[in-house]
Amino acid sequence: MIVISSANGKEYKVEIEAVQANDYKSITKSRYFFDWKKEQSQEVYKIKIVGSSDILGLVSVERIPEEWRIHIRLITVSKENKGRDKEYENIAGNLITFISKIAVREYGELACVSLKPKGAIAQHYIDKFGMNITGMTLSVEIAEILELINTYDHDYGEK
Amino acid sequence: MGKNKFKEIEGAEFGVDSRYTSKKKQLDDGKALMEARLQRMKNLSSDKIIKAKLLQLKLKMEEFIKEPIYQEENHFTKFLTSYIDAIYSKRIDFAKDIDIDANLLSKIVNNHRKPKEDFLLRLMIHSEKTYNNICHFHKKIWYQVYFQEKLSGLMANQDQWRPNVERHVKIKNLTSVDD
Repeated sequence: MIVISSANGKEYKVEIEAVQANDYKSITKSRYFFDWKKEQSQEVYKIKIVGSSDILGLVSVERIPEEWRIHIRLITVSKENKGRDKEYENIAGNLITFISKIAVREYGELACVSLKPKGAIAQHYIDKFGMNITGMTLSVEIAEILELINTYDHDYGEK
Repeated sequence: MGKNKFKEIEGAEFGVDSRYTSKKKQLDDGKALMEARLQRMKNLSSDKIIKAKLLQLKLKMEEFIKEPIYQEENHFTKFLTSYIDAIYSKRIDFAKDIDIDANLLSKIVNNHRKPKEDFLLRLMIHSEKTYNNICHFHKKIWYQVYFQEKLSGLMANQDQWRPNVERHVKIKNLTSVDD
């Protein structure tokens, strides 16, 4: 997986790992928009450029195995990566793809990743990630997940 | 799907809070979502289902290599069975495709015989061809799973083999580090 520098188009390899207890010291609400300390009991992942310790984005999820589904509770990019002046592209896409891969590993062709954004943000997720809409819930299922992997995961993408 | 296919709304990705406010809300949403998913599943091609199964297998194998867990069940044959069953309706057809006797395949799949090098090499090449249209599949994976399992088993069962083996091992003229 890679992120792309908005400044010069340069690509950087990224890694996504589980957040460790000591990471929460640097995960502040002012930089990551939510009180992530409240998510400490959840499954939380961070994305960073390989070789760097700076966290570019975060996602917390809840597995719902009886529905073959993983629900995204919170997802964010860091303050520097919000909006038109963002430093890097693809942060949220990589995080969603990473969670989608976990869903495929666990649930195979029944895999589903869901989230519930509001208003214009929902339309953005539909347009950008090809999400299905059911009531207020957005989801990617296997057809969309294969597309996401093809787009974002350069180690696994379809040939 | 190209990298630039998607447009972006200003700041839309900065954050989404989609935590459920109650268990009831989660269950209600899950129920509605499941009905919609089942409808969409009806339109899913068999090609995509096979791709999903093979991708799942690859991810599970990679996870096993990364964090091997020793259990009584044989992971290699479990993965092998998943692989064959994802792409063949009859296992005998796989045996034909890799030019081995169907009885031998049955013995390997049922843990009555260990796979020999020939089998592993043919499986490696078969997988390379199968995954070629799906995703990158490293040729080492089957070997890594096989030997990782063997190693994990040896380490986990030391109490069974070590006493007997140690009786056969001694080092003459062992020099102490203090000398």
